[in-house]
Amino acid sequence: MTDDSTVATIEDPALPAGTETHDTHASAPGLLPGELRPHPSPFQYVMVAVILCVITALEVGTYYLPDSFPRALYITILLVLAITKFVTVVAWFMHLRTDRPIFRRFFVVGAVGAVLLYSIILATLHVFE
Amino acid sequence: VYNIPFTSVTSFILLMSSLTMVLALAAIQRGDHRRFRIWLIATGLFGAIFIAGQIYEFTEFYREGLALKTSVFGSSFFVLTGLHGAHVTVGIIWLLTLWGMSMQGRLGTADAERIEIAGLYWHFVDIVWIVIFTVIYLIP
Repeated sequence: MTDDSTVATIEDPALPAGTETHDTHASAPGLLPGELRPHPSPFQYVMVAVILCVITALEVGTYYLPDSFPRALYITILLVLAITKFVTVVAWFMHLRTDRPIFRRFFVVGAVGAVLLYSIILATLHVFE
Repeated sequence: VYNIPFTSVTSFILLMSSLTMVLALAAIQRGDHRRFRIWLIATGLFGAIFIAGQIYEFTEFYREGLALKTSVFGSSFFVLTGLHGAHVTVGIIWLLTLWGMSMQGRLGTADAERIEIAGLYWHFVDIVWIVIFTVIYLIP
């Protein structure tokens, strides 16, 4: 996703000249607060939407696989497709790939926490047995 | 009990509303207020179609005997999808408010961050549905 080396640097008047700091509030001109790079172009957004359409079609197609298809593989395929869609929307439409890395870390911590909580609940309901 | 083709279409519409939302943000960032309002109202409209589909689905399930108190499945299904639908409804009200403000000239290019925040809420509702659609509908 985002490369830490591309963090926009802001001159702090309180520091000696040439000292670089990572201000969490200010942004480079033309960018919203917390952003490192410009958003994708409308054409890129449309291309991302096309990819999401294809993945959704694959998901629905997978649903109609015959009952003889291995269930573990079926679930794995659907989860991989869902995760791909999830990450694509978060990275491109929610602009996490152009935001400062701190936002990505917060999001990942929250997402991992949610998956852990959901897994614990499923385990208590004996879903994995 | 599921009507997968129907739910797939409404899921697809919600997914496309995320596209119109980012196009609305891109429009206001370049000062194109006319297109901003078009994309914003399109996003709200897609959300409304999704909600209409959910109401239809709930009604069909109820007619077939699945209600909130029928079983653990019924409770889980209606609470999970109903809470999501409530959040989509809040998002639609938010979008309509922004659209109204724009019509009154109270929303300028400098307010792009407000649109970004509303967009983040909308996309979050979308990604939650991506998970619900797979886990609840496609994985029986």
